[in-house]
Amino acid sequence: MLYKVLSKEKLGELVTNLLSNYEFYGPKKIDKVTHDFVLIENFSDIDLSYKKTTIPPSKKLLFPSYENLINYKLNKDNVEVLPNLESKKRILFGVAPWDINGMNFLDKIFSIDYLDNNYLMKRKNLIVIGFDVEPSDNNFAAAVNAEYTNKGFDLYITDLKDRYFIRVGSATGNFIINNFTTAVDAKLKDFEDYNRFLDVYRKKFKVKINLDKFYDSFEAVYSNNELWDKLAKNCFSCGSCNLVCPTCFCFNVKDELMLNLKEGIKKREWDSCMISDYGLVAGGHNFRPTNSNRLKQRYRCKLKTFAEKFESISCVGCGRCVDACLAKINIYEDVNTIKKEVGV
Amino acid sequence: MSIEIKEKMVKDVSDKHNKEKSIYAPQVATIIKINTMTDTEKQFFIKLDDPIQRENFNFLPGQFIELTVFGIGEAPFSIPSSPSNKEYFELCVRKIGSVSNALHKMQVGDKVGIRGPFGNGYFPFDKMIGNNVVIIAGGLGMAPVRSLLLKILEDRSKYKGVTLIYGCVDPNNILYKDEIFELRKRDDIDVKLTVDRPDSTWKDSVGVCTSLIPQLEYLPEDTYIVVCGPPVMYKFVIVELNEKKYLPERVFLSLERRMECGVGKCNHCHIGNKLSCVDGPVFSLWEIMNLKEAI
Repeated sequence: MLYKVLSKEKLGELVTNLLSNYEFYGPKKIDKVTHDFVLIENFSDIDLSYKKTTIPPSKKLLFPSYENLINYKLNKDNVEVLPNLESKKRILFGVAPWDINGMNFLDKIFSIDYLDNNYLMKRKNLIVIGFDVEPSDNNFAAAVNAEYTNKGFDLYITDLKDRYFIRVGSATGNFIINNFTTAVDAKLKDFEDYNRFLDVYRKKFKVKINLDKFYDSFEAVYSNNELWDKLAKNCFSCGSCNLVCPTCFCFNVKDELMLNLKEGIKKREWDSCMISDYGLVAGGHNFRPTNSNRLKQRYRCKLKTFAEKFESISCVGCGRCVDACLAKINIYEDVNTIKKEVGV
Repeated sequence: MSIEIKEKMVKDVSDKHNKEKSIYAPQVATIIKINTMTDTEKQFFIKLDDPIQRENFNFLPGQFIELTVFGIGEAPFSIPSSPSNKEYFELCVRKIGSVSNALHKMQVGDKVGIRGPFGNGYFPFDKMIGNNVVIIAGGLGMAPVRSLLLKILEDRSKYKGVTLIYGCVDPNNILYKDEIFELRKRDDIDVKLTVDRPDSTWKDSVGVCTSLIPQLEYLPEDTYIVVCGPPVMYKFVIVELNEKKYLPERVFLSLERRMECGVGKCNHCHIGNKLSCVDGPVFSLWEIMNLKEAI
């Protein structure tokens, strides 16, 4: 990792240069209360004071709700199959650390066992510029160690009030710094200020949860149906929590035939583990028929499964599911309820 | 994306997949023969169109493929034929969902898409060498284990006793009926059949296949057990096997879930921290005892 320092007024120049060279996505205020990552045309459109966006930017660009995977042509005596592997250089600017961590998780999912090139081609062509975004009220990223990241970005910009501290995470990031702006190497004083910034930044996360001892506690309450029914009592099975989650990756693979009946596509679209037909198989058997089955499954997937597989849990603490839930189901409160049930 | 990750990925690519390929792109194949087996099941003989792909299509007993009916969709099917057959493979398909219904309407010569074979968990025919093998199948569960059965019969001398326990709803629903009745004439395999609803000609056992397990005489230390059937069957079979003290690490069960992608991405088939498509579909009973939702 290289460390650079950029003076405050130079950021506009850097972004303007990037805007003229790349397709550029950044955070923009789109109405009174909402921010979203959209195609940016001017530096002044970018609003880095955002606290959250409804949909995680990485998912919007890399793993959209609907995606064409392959095209095929049904010819008279054969079928032509053509993969749809898009590759366009794009910049994603101003991504929060928990969203970068969420994207790092998706990177692992789509590169473990089999390489999912439909995702990875887009990922390889995405230039990520991170930024320490102010946490929203329900954000608990610091409790799950997702408020900081040292990988998954090309550049990471930290605002030290009078200057920017920039971490350069890749050769592409280095190319950008060298060609589109003038930054100097960071000195000891800059590192001191950066570390002081991190201490202050971490204190901004107000939600306290302690996942210590949760791993085994979960098993202890696994068969406690009364508890799970209570936790899932208000769930509508709407799947909002899945849609907004930066690490939810479940999808369906579907075929679609064009109206000419000669061409078709294989597409993927997001699925949700909270919807009743998620565990349904041909013949009518449903492996997870109730709300409480499904909520339990979601909590395990977020807080346990990947502690075993990837050695870190998949939840990045962005708090989006808490904000999105119409029934006010709250993952961090439920963690405490589960632990309390076991008496830890 | 940082260069380090990129380099690593290129390495992975050379190991498993071409980086220009999409794992969702099926191979085109042709249906070369169709047999009607019962009112609801048909046997399809499928040959991959590309000779190189055909040559590289190596599967192990218990693995499955994803079959695309172009324009309709994709569904997982286990491969019931012998892994030794390089020319084509078979499928045994029950008419039950949108893809299988469409497949049942297809004709010889029609094109389908094939991805796979998938699954890292298989029936360990290699470890079973020198041991007794008991195959317990219920209904359509005969399809995945038939591949193992054929493999064992090809190398019959390498194994000790071989027993097949096969339970069906009624005699008309017995899959591979001629083949199984042919097997009964052999003295190197013990075939035990049972049906829930016998007809007037039925001479074998009546009841679920669980009821035949107490008759097994093999000792736990040199016996492998393979089980495949509907989800409800496993619970009862496991109780009987535990009663006989068969070792959980030598009992193998095929857990079918909704394998939508087959390559460990879509997450539909997860059981605890495992995915049925990449970690299974065959799991040992010991693995299953650690997965609360499995049975």
